[in-house]
Amino acid sequence: MADQNEAGRLKQETALQKLLRRPEIGSFTVMLIIIVALSFASEGKSFNALGLKNNIAIIAQYGIIATGAAVLMIAGEFDLSIGSMIGFAGMAMSMMLKWGLPFGMGEATPFTAFIFTLAMTLIFGWLIGTVVVRSGLSSFIVTLAFLFFLRGVTEVSFRLINKSTQISGLPDYKEESWFANLLGGDVFGWFYDLWFMLGGNLNRKGAQWVDGFDARFLWWLIISAVAYFILSRTQFGNWIFATGDNKEAARANGVPVNRVKVTLFMFTAFCATMFAACQVFDTNTSDAAKGNLMELFAIAIAVVGGTLMTGGFGSIIGVVFGAITVGLVANAVFFIPAIDGAWFRVFLGAILLAAVFANERIRKRITGGI
Amino acid sequence: MSDPYLRVEGLVKRFGPFTALGGVDLEVYPGEVHCLLGDNGAGKSTLIKTLSGVHEPTKGKIYIEGKPVKFRSPRDASDAGIGTVYQDLAINQLLSVTRNFFMGRELKGSFGTLRMDEMNQIAHDEMLKIGIDFSDPTQAVGTMSGGQRQTLAIARAIYFGAKVLILDEPTSALGQKQQMGVLKTIKKVRARGDIGIIFITHNEIHSRLVGDRFTFLALGQTIGSGTNSEINDEEMRRLMSGGAEMGDLKQELAAI
Repeated sequence: MADQNEAGRLKQETALQKLLRRPEIGSFTVMLIIIVALSFASEGKSFNALGLKNNIAIIAQYGIIATGAAVLMIAGEFDLSIGSMIGFAGMAMSMMLKWGLPFGMGEATPFTAFIFTLAMTLIFGWLIGTVVVRSGLSSFIVTLAFLFFLRGVTEVSFRLINKSTQISGLPDYKEESWFANLLGGDVFGWFYDLWFMLGGNLNRKGAQWVDGFDARFLWWLIISAVAYFILSRTQFGNWIFATGDNKEAARANGVPVNRVKVTLFMFTAFCATMFAACQVFDTNTSDAAKGNLMELFAIAIAVVGGTLMTGGFGSIIGVVFGAITVGLVANAVFFIPAIDGAWFRVFLGAILLAAVFANERIRKRITGGI
Repeated sequence: MSDPYLRVEGLVKRFGPFTALGGVDLEVYPGEVHCLLGDNGAGKSTLIKTLSGVHEPTKGKIYIEGKPVKFRSPRDASDAGIGTVYQDLAINQLLSVTRNFFMGRELKGSFGTLRMDEMNQIAHDEMLKIGIDFSDPTQAVGTMSGGQRQTLAIARAIYFGAKVLILDEPTSALGQKQQMGVLKTIKKVRARGDIGIIFITHNEIHSRLVGDRFTFLALGQTIGSGTNSEINDEEMRRLMSGGAEMGDLKQELAAI
């Protein structure tokens, strides 16, 4: 008893025990189960050449916005305006491409349309963040206001200028513009080329079937990698965690809490803009209803990935697993025609609830049950 | 005798019509523990908030090493060497010991990356210096005991250059054994000789155990001060109850 010290009360664990206690373990297990179950139920179709491409397309879409939502949640705030921001950004970009830049600045190129749109969405992100930190109001209500506001602005602008709430039949910018190709073209072609050379990836005529993944796959990987790096390896990352865990403690230690939050609201706006840009340049269309409900999917995936609703804790790797899980299930109906597509939402609701309980357990374990 | 590191002269703080501090004097010497005692509402919190730059004084002067200073923010005070360890400790439970230790003042490498290994080492060493051997500074603070959290907050303040350490009721929310741990930590910091400590407490025994000098506050005024040898137990009890005679109190109680 005498030689027992406080440090000795912390049990030393093996590497495997540590791995099993990682916060991502829950979402990882669920993901594995889904992948295996889906492979069997779809008789392999969901992971053949085209299936993989289509699955990754939706996973990457979810992943991009869920990363923004997760980092913001770690800092202790929500953004319900993500979906409307996607609609707004898509509208702004396609309208500039069709009708030219604002203030009579002439024809838009994919690059200028994107930059102008990004400037606007970042300003909106800054505005939302500033209203939240200055007013001290809950971000839930402030961003709910922007959910309605931005969706309304999107529709009104469409009707005023375009006379219709959708744009289709834009020229295929990917053909000429390297920039549009970067957002809407194909990436990782070598993967499918290799698959073809190895004797797979064949269509009915025996030629190569699929040429590459959608570009958003690459953007998702980049955004996730950057978010992971910032959170775990930089000063700003430490500030994000500190801000979300205990704002007053962070402030007392000199962390610029408000600046952290405003920056992250701008980051979710950026993620929404990337989502919209990939969509616009991939399909050459846009629609006032684009991105509807996406804010809720983003938050759900962040939670499934182990992010705490109360802030201060979360993992980008977990969010990657969460995006894969939710994306696969959302797409499952295309590979297993026998099931009703609405089961997706039943499943999402169930794992969301399970994840919230699991996260709460993790939080209690870390904080010693408070 | 050496000069005081921190000297406060006739400090007045008014919030509108309310006078929270009505002219308080205080001297804090390096290597000494200065106990600040007083009942709830005596003005202790206002005094330390003024010293740590949260409030600006209405009147009166604060001197650091004999030079008058003005704190406009907590940053100013901490730059001047005043490290405040608040009751809630300004600690984030979900973050690791190291991340808490360096919160807001992280060590950065060439690409803005954190020098995590170095920070782990420093956090471990600094906490060892004042009392606890914390084998794994990457574990979350939530797993630490209350006394260990105090140590973390104190070590952090010292590492970042505190010459005067303000401890706001560090023993109040702890169990008996951990209270003793905190007192030991205070003694260890005192033994360094270069740091003055302002120890705020309600506990007469604790202040006797570690205190060199005492200041008693009541209703925003200094009602008594002196060194450990100058003040006897009787006097101490009288001052701690805000100046009322113990005998009077006994009579009042007996009358009920």
